[in-house]
Amino acid sequence: MTSRVSMVGITKHFDAVKALQGASLELHAGEIHTLAGENGSGKSTLLKILAGVIRPDDGTIAIDGSKITFSKVRDAISHGVSMVSQELSLVPHLSIAENVFLGHKQSRGRLGIDWRDTEKRAVEVLERLNLDVNPKDEVSSLPQHEQQLVEIARAMAADSKVLLLDEPTSSLAPNEVSALFKVVRQLRDEGVAIVMISHRMSEMLDISDRFTVLRDSKFIDTSTREGVTEDWLIERMVLNKPKRGVRATQSNEKPELILEVKGMTDRAGAFQNISFNLYKGEIVGLAGLAGAGRTELVEAIVGLHPRESGDVVVAGQIVAHSTRATMNAGVVLVPDDRRQKSTIHDMSIRDNLLLSIHGRPQKQRSKKAEEKIVSDWVSKFKIKMSHPDAPISSLSGGNQQKVVIARCLETKPKVLILDEATRGIDLGAKAEIYQILRELAAEGLAILCVSSELSEIFEISDRVLVMHAGDLTADLDRSSIEESDVVSAATGARK
Amino acid sequence: MRSLIKVPRLSTLPAWFGVLVLEILLLVYMVITQPVFFSSSNISNIVRSSAIPIILGIGMTFTILTAGIDLSVGSVLAFTGILLSGLITHMPRVTAVLLTIVITTIVVGGINGILIGKLGLNSFVITLGTLGIFRGIAYLVTNGTTQSMDTGKLINTLGDGNVGPVPGPFLVVLVVAGVSIWALKSTYFGRDVYAVGGNEFAARLAGIFTSRVKMTVYFISALLAALAGIMQVGRLQSAAPTAGAGIELAVVAGVLLGGTRLSGGVGSITGTVIGLLFLQTVQNSLTIQGVSSYWQQVVTGVLLGAAVLFERFRVQYSGRRKSREENNVTKE
Repeated sequence: MTSRVSMVGITKHFDAVKALQGASLELHAGEIHTLAGENGSGKSTLLKILAGVIRPDDGTIAIDGSKITFSKVRDAISHGVSMVSQELSLVPHLSIAENVFLGHKQSRGRLGIDWRDTEKRAVEVLERLNLDVNPKDEVSSLPQHEQQLVEIARAMAADSKVLLLDEPTSSLAPNEVSALFKVVRQLRDEGVAIVMISHRMSEMLDISDRFTVLRDSKFIDTSTREGVTEDWLIERMVLNKPKRGVRATQSNEKPELILEVKGMTDRAGAFQNISFNLYKGEIVGLAGLAGAGRTELVEAIVGLHPRESGDVVVAGQIVAHSTRATMNAGVVLVPDDRRQKSTIHDMSIRDNLLLSIHGRPQKQRSKKAEEKIVSDWVSKFKIKMSHPDAPISSLSGGNQQKVVIARCLETKPKVLILDEATRGIDLGAKAEIYQILRELAAEGLAILCVSSELSEIFEISDRVLVMHAGDLTADLDRSSIEESDVVSAATGARK
Repeated sequence: MRSLIKVPRLSTLPAWFGVLVLEILLLVYMVITQPVFFSSSNISNIVRSSAIPIILGIGMTFTILTAGIDLSVGSVLAFTGILLSGLITHMPRVTAVLLTIVITTIVVGGINGILIGKLGLNSFVITLGTLGIFRGIAYLVTNGTTQSMDTGKLINTLGDGNVGPVPGPFLVVLVVAGVSIWALKSTYFGRDVYAVGGNEFAARLAGIFTSRVKMTVYFISALLAALAGIMQVGRLQSAAPTAGAGIELAVVAGVLLGGTRLSGGVGSITGTVIGLLFLQTVQNSLTIQGVSSYWQQVVTGVLLGAAVLFERFRVQYSGRRKSREENNVTKE
C-alpha cells in the first residue's frame, strides 16, 4: 500500500501553549484512518494543518512522496486535500448546487453561469453520496446530516484524494451515522484516503482500518485494525493515572438537598431528559466530551439557554426560567468563555466584580461599602492587580476568573456552577482555584463543576456525572470509580 | 399525506411577495376611490419620482447583501450634480457627464471601498463619514446656492424626458435593474456577493477573495449614486447642495421592505424595485388623498416595522414546520 500523505515532526505553538510537539501521521490511499485522543490532545490542530487552515511552526508534509507547504486553504484544495470542519461551512441561503461548487466552480455558459449544467453536475455528485435532493433548494432547508453530506459533496466535486472529517458524527443520530459511514466506506473503496476524528468508541472500532493515537500533543502509537480493542485505545489515550486530591472526609450526617434538576430537555436538541440532585457541601464534576451538551445544560439551568421542558427546584421551590429568578433563588454560573460570556473587558476590575449586585438598595451601595466588598474579595482570593480601577483585561486569566467567581459569590448563592473554570489558566492559578472551591464546599456551598479535563474532575469531585450526546450516562461516586469508567461513559462505549 | 392541489408554501414565496400584494391592493383601492390617480400624468409622475430612489436602492442592495451599508449615497448624489455643473461649461455635455461619473465613482468608491473592503472597517461608520464629507464639499463649493444650468437633451432625457412614449428614467431603471439582476444571478462576482454576506468564513474557505468582493460593491454603489445625481440634474435643470438630503434612509427602508436582509446574504434587486415603488405609491396616494406629508413619514415607519415583523413570523413559521417534519421523519 502506498503512502499518500506523510506528516512528520509537526510542531505548533499557540502563544505559550504547545498544541503539537513533533506529531506525525501516515496516511494511505483507500483507508479510513481514525485519529484518536482526548480533548486537547492536538487532533484537530493536526487536521487543520493538513487542510492549510493553520500553518505549522515546524515539520514536513509530503503528498504522494513530494514535499509541500500550504500557505492557504486554496493550496491544500489544489493538492486534493479537503476538510469537512466541525462547524458547518456552508452559505445557508444559497442553493445546494451552489454550495457544492462554491468558489467559482459553477459551470460557465455563454451568458454567465449556466445554472442548469451546474445543477446537473451537482446531482451527479450528490448521487454518488446517495443524497436525493433538489439541487435548487436552499441548503439550510436540509437537516443537519444532509448538510454535512453537501460539504462532503463539495470535497468530491473538487476531486479530493484526501478527505479530513473532524468529528463528523458529533451531532448525528445513529441512523444518520450509519448512512454517513456507508458513504465514507464507499469513498474509501474508490481510493480516497480518509482521516476521521470521533469520540465515540464504538464508531471508531466499527469503521476504521487504522488508528493513530495522540496524547498531550504528541504522537503515541499507530496500528492497523487487528489487535486494536477498546482497552488498547483507552490505555493509550488517557494520561497517566491522575492523583486524587486530598479531601476532608465527609461527615455521616444526611446531606441536605439543595438543587434538583427534573427531566430537563432543551429546545435546540443539545440534551434531553436530564435529572440529577445536588447536595449541600459537595463538589460534583460533570464530565463529557465537547458537544455532549454540558454547557447547554448548565446554561439552561440558570435561564440562559431555552428549554423545552423540565424544572429547576431550589430548596423545594420551582424556579422560573430566567437568569434573574435563578440568581435570586441562589444559583449562579461561572460561564465557560471569559472573553465572550463573563467579563466586560473594557470595564474596571471593580465594576466587573460588582456587576451582579446592582439591584441592591442604594443604602448598601455607598462608595465605601463597595470599596470594602472589592478589597475583601481581593484579599480573600489573593487577586493580583495594580488597582481596582484598572481594566479587567489587564489581569491574567486566573485572576480574571477569580474576579468572576467573586462576583458570583457576592450574590450569596447556595449553588455555584462552574463551566470549564480553569480553561486557559496556568497551573499555579488552577491550584488556587481548586483550593477556593474546596473551602467554599466546606462552608456548605453546593458546587457543580463542568470540566473536559479528567484530571481536574478527579482532583476536585466528590461525585461525577457524565454526559454523552445529550444524555446523562453515569452518576458515579468517586470513591469507587476508575478513570476508564468515565471515559467509557463519555464515549458511549458501554452502557 | 399530500393534498392534491399544490398550494405554494408561505416559506417558499419570495420575500417581496407580500409587498407586491400590498402594492396591488393599494393600486386597486386608489383606482376605485380616486379616478385621478390613474391619469397618465400621475402614473408617469410615480414612475419618474421613483426612478432615482430605485437606482440608489439597487446600489444599496449590493452593499447590504454583503452585510454592509452605504449611507453616503444622498450626499454623493448632490456632489455629482455640483461637479457636473462645474464641468459642463468647459466641455461637451457627453464628456462632462462621463467625466463626472468616472471621477465620482473612483473617488467615492475608492474611499469607501478601500476602507471597508480592504481594511475591514465598519461600513456604517465609514459611509456616515463620507456622507458628511461630500455633502460638506457640495456646500463649500457652491456656498450653499443652487446652480442652474442648461442641461441639453441627453441629461434631460435621463432624468425626466421621454424616449418616444416611454419616460427616460424608466428606461434607465430598466437597464440598470436588468444588468444588476443578471450580474447577481449569473456571474461569479454576483454569487460571491451572496456568499460573502451569507457566511464570510465559508466564502474564504472556498477560495473567494472576500475583501475584493466587498470593495467592488462600494464602487457599484458610488457609480449608481453618480448616475442618480445626473438624473436629478436632468429632472430639476439645476444642481443644489441640498439635493437628496436624507434620501439614504428612505432608500434603505425600501430595500429592507423588498426583503433584503440587513445581516446580508439574502435579498434581490426585484424586491428592491418593488419595495421602493411601493413607498413611492404610498406617498403619491397620500398626497392625492390630501393627507399631510408629515403622515407619510409615519406611514413609512409603520410599514417598515410591519414588514420586519411579518418576516419574523414567516421565518418562525417555516422553522417550526421544518422541525415538525424532521421529528416525523425520525419517528418513522
